Amino acid sequence: MAAFMEEALMEARRARDAGEVPVGCVFVHEDKVVARGANEVNVSRNATRHAEFICIDAILAYCREKNLPARQMFSEIIVVVTVEPCIMCSAALHTLGVQEIIFGCENDRFGGKTVVNVGAVVGKKIKITGGVRGDEAMALLKEFYKGDNPAAPTVAKKKN
Amino acid sequence: MDACGSPPPVKRNRQSPTDNEDSVGIRAVLSDEYNEIALIKVHSCQLETKQQLQSVIQELSQKLPRLQHLKRVHDRNVLICPTSDIGDAETLEEHLQRYAFSANVLRALCHQVKVVEVPARMPKLRVQYEQMIQHWPCKFHPNHYSESLRNGSNFSISQRIFHKRMAQLLARLSRDVNKDKPVGICVDPRQSSIVSIAGASESYSAHGHEHCSMLLVDFVARSQQGGALKSDLSFVEDEEKAETTLRGLPKAYYDYLKKNEAYQDLKFGAEVSRKCQPQQQVLLNADHSQGADNLTKYGPYLCTGYDVYLLQEPCLMCSMAFVHSRAKRIFFLRPSDNGALVTRFQLHAVKELNHHYEVFQFTTDGSLT
Repeated sequence: MAAFMEEALMEARRARDAGEVPVGCVFVHEDKVVARGANEVNVSRNATRHAEFICIDAILAYCREKNLPARQMFSEIIVVVTVEPCIMCSAALHTLGVQEIIFGCENDRFGGKTVVNVGAVVGKKIKITGGVRGDEAMALLKEFYKGDNPAAPTVAKKKN
Repeated sequence: MDACGSPPPVKRNRQSPTDNEDSVGIRAVLSDEYNEIALIKVHSCQLETKQQLQSVIQELSQKLPRLQHLKRVHDRNVLICPTSDIGDAETLEEHLQRYAFSANVLRALCHQVKVVEVPARMPKLRVQYEQMIQHWPCKFHPNHYSESLRNGSNFSISQRIFHKRMAQLLARLSRDVNKDKPVGICVDPRQSSIVSIAGASESYSAHGHEHCSMLLVDFVARSQQGGALKSDLSFVEDEEKAETTLRGLPKAYYDYLKKNEAYQDLKFGAEVSRKCQPQQQVLLNADHSQGADNLTKYGPYLCTGYDVYLLQEPCLMCSMAFVHSRAKRIFFLRPSDNGALVTRFQLHAVKELNHHYEVFQFTTDGSLT
């Protein structure tokens, strides 16, 4: 999965270069990247446009276009994302029933595993693995927030 | 009127906006901290003489400064420490020996030890306080605003009428414009002006994640020259040099309300975004509890300072979307099976989050639709 995390990190760097919070995500289906996304919150003025949602919408659009059953597709998707999905994204991924979630560094401000046990609230259990190249994901966040942003989430501590 | 030759008034199915007022109440959804009487088990001892009191209290407050929300002594009984502080393999006495109490005090602390149940936290409301002191005397700092949330006096009569009117509007819009599917309304409470309206859409519902709250957040973004979701809907366009923007309003809802006699006094539109980067706005004031003030100071940014009215209690995804969007208050009419504010969870009670909105539920006798 390290190779796919590199793709996610590339998306995170793309977000950084666009002045967005540097989080990137790829959706992997049958060992291939089928969707990629970077945070688009600032450009869209919409605080829900996280990297995961960019990917979700890409898959939904693809399924609509090809007339494929989205639920089936999501059940075979592995989500690879640089930072632990937030409560909102994690809730969406649980509801859609993705196969697995792999993330880099933890998000101790609003992580969908660290702060709230999203699986328990939604009533669905999904395999979630953290700490894959978490240092690099964290370094991107730290670089972004180093300008003393008092509104920034406190940078997650890595536990590995 | 006749002189102007205008046609006779059409007989219309008019309902006064306050018709249902008496059947609707508004309840603040307070976190468990405001409701529960949580107790913890604590070791206590009984003093033999009053002369021991001063030295015991002095050493306890230095060496075991715990249980600050409680009176340490009550009726010659002294609270020592929660039972959970004592390890499995040690006795209370062994535990206390670690703190180097003087011999007299240690002896006093080990005299007639028993376990008492005492309030786990300081009460938030007077009603809790009165129940808690039945167990053990505790401190209480009355908070006027908290009390008003509980008894409903936080809203003025005119505010209450407006909120109830929004509840009625949700039911009406769902029935008449959105085929009974959920709708949401976003309001700038400074002018009681409707910023955006969104309805859960049919084409999306099969996938289950394009809920009306997610659309509402995006439609609010449209009023700030943003917006990400592709929509088949057509939106109201602004007239040139308009002071407020109607871009967050789908035409179907706007036209319905504009045509309806009962809603002629409703106000629409959002303040136009000021020329300031959103990132900078966040930098300026990180105190999120001042939502409305920040809206006035810095202009629209996400849903800062805005109120959200929803037909259905939002799910966890949507509830968190409003946290990210920094909404000021969420009002909802009907509980949802997957609701995350009352039914399955209380997201607004999670302390770690960097923003907290208030939550209110409309209570009705069911006559609202």
